[in-house]
Amino acid sequence: MDFYFGLAQIIGVHTLLGLSAYIVLLTGQVTLAQAGFFAIGAYVSAMLTVLAGWPIVAALGVGTLFGAGAACAVGFPALRVKGLMLVIATLAFGEGVRLFFFNFDYQVAKGQVKVGPVGGEGFRQIRYFPEHGWTTFDVMLFIWVFVVLIMAVLWWFDRSRYGAVLRAVGEDEIAAQSVGINLTAVKVSAMTIGGAIAGIGGGLYAHYTTHIEHSSFNILVATFAIAYPIVGGLASVFGTLAAVVFVQGFLIEGLRFLGDWRNLLFGALIVLAMNVRPRGLLDAPTLGRLGRFGRLFGGGR
Amino acid sequence: MLDLLQAVLDGLLFGTTYALIGIGFTLVFGVMHKLNMSYAAASVGGAYCGLLIMGLVQGAPPWTVFLAACLAGGVLGYLVYLTCFHFIPLASPLATLMSTVGMLLLIDEIIVHVTDGMPKNFPTMLDDEMLRVGEITLRGDLLLVFGVSVVCMAGLLALLYRTRLGLATRAVSQQPVAAQLCGIRVAQVNAATFVVTGLLGGIAGALIGASVGALSPLLTTPLTVKGLIVTVIGGLGSIPGAIIAGLLVGAFENLFQQFRGVTERDLYVMLLLFAFLVFRPGGLFAPKGGRD
Repeated sequence: MDFYFGLAQIIGVHTLLGLSAYIVLLTGQVTLAQAGFFAIGAYVSAMLTVLAGWPIVAALGVGTLFGAGAACAVGFPALRVKGLMLVIATLAFGEGVRLFFFNFDYQVAKGQVKVGPVGGEGFRQIRYFPEHGWTTFDVMLFIWVFVVLIMAVLWWFDRSRYGAVLRAVGEDEIAAQSVGINLTAVKVSAMTIGGAIAGIGGGLYAHYTTHIEHSSFNILVATFAIAYPIVGGLASVFGTLAAVVFVQGFLIEGLRFLGDWRNLLFGALIVLAMNVRPRGLLDAPTLGRLGRFGRLFGGGR
Repeated sequence: MLDLLQAVLDGLLFGTTYALIGIGFTLVFGVMHKLNMSYAAASVGGAYCGLLIMGLVQGAPPWTVFLAACLAGGVLGYLVYLTCFHFIPLASPLATLMSTVGMLLLIDEIIVHVTDGMPKNFPTMLDDEMLRVGEITLRGDLLLVFGVSVVCMAGLLALLYRTRLGLATRAVSQQPVAAQLCGIRVAQVNAATFVVTGLLGGIAGALIGASVGALSPLLTTPLTVKGLIVTVIGGLGSIPGAIIAGLLVGAFENLFQQFRGVTERDLYVMLLLFAFLVFRPGGLFAPKGGRD
């Protein structure tokens, strides 16, 4: 049973990663910096619980603030460039953060052992959960509380004025600007919210794996972050969740019996999915059909 | 001072490979206004195929590996076009971005699968030759890299500015609709662009293999990042920009490797990119009236 709880933890954290890119993608920007914010959240909150002995929720909060702050700081200069230039700029930022942690040493003696991040070796012994007697189930619940909360907030955004503004900027920047929307404010705020979500996700990730190193935040992670919303479709937050379950649950765990061939299939399936469904698995027409289907069986409203 | 000059010269020579990779990214962007993220991976893949083909022919001279890699790169380029661009509507830029990322992962994994993740020795040429100019030493293999790259770039420019295919390519990159009205088959030109960039990529992959002395799947990610950085610094869609930016990044990187060590050098390349994004967001040679 613990295996499934573990899988649920992975799906939860990856959903947060995907949602952090989802809100930025809504404004029509493609960002490959999410792995960087994820790394910042992970390192900051892990250092707070391990080195400073903070409780987990406070540490996660500070990690979130750091993620949001970094995203806001990146947002201003990076958003001067548009479209594909932004992809490359954010990719370089993400790699820059990874390289920073690759060269980052800060160790403190705690009892017999020295703890803290050591450059290439990474940061071991992030043992907050085992030290406080949390079971796998407790950790899973803890992670999913955050996932559900954030999904609810994003779902509510979609029904509010702010969500409409985000989508307006994503559909047509010039039209949005000409009805008086402040493009910079919208894009930087979306980037900041995305950074905050990635920061929480990173903090949770650091604590359930108990070991982080620079290579856990490479381009592959950044690619996953944008792959989830794009593969799942941008029509709704549930697209991201569906894509995470499809990728982590089916492609990675479900196809484990294929051994090495699974990795080959992964890239090929992404190529195939984009050829067959260029607007994502759960695109707007499909969601509409699902909605009608639901009403048919739910007695009709 | 001498160390500094030596580091910059070595970097400049190796930078020509970055320039080739950057040209590949920039050419596809210029023609289709799309990013082909799998380009660097396909280039390394082409070099691997070159090794594979050379292994089949007994006693082939080492330079044939370049020819084989070039041809394999061209074939790979066409395959990438077919799987990632041909069937996806132009109106969904995210879909092609994602499909090429999928292709990057696929090519990477195929390489790891076929070679069991071990680096493969690549035939080196002119390895022991040195050219001494006063106190400065120029490595023979780097000079070879430089020479071959310059020949390739000259060939590409001749193709673009002296042939009918080149004329069609430039027409499509300026105004796809007008080009189509003049009777140019846009899909064919797009496919040809992918084949041409693939041929270049195969040579670039082989050159990198020859100067490093080995090919490894670990090369693809740094090459992708460097190639994209070169593209941005040079200005998206500008070939002279990509050449100059490639040399610049090569020299800059080698300089910092000399003084700050290999683990930190890429950090400074990122800083260089950010300096460009802040002070000159369009790159060195920003094409006028970009339709991004």
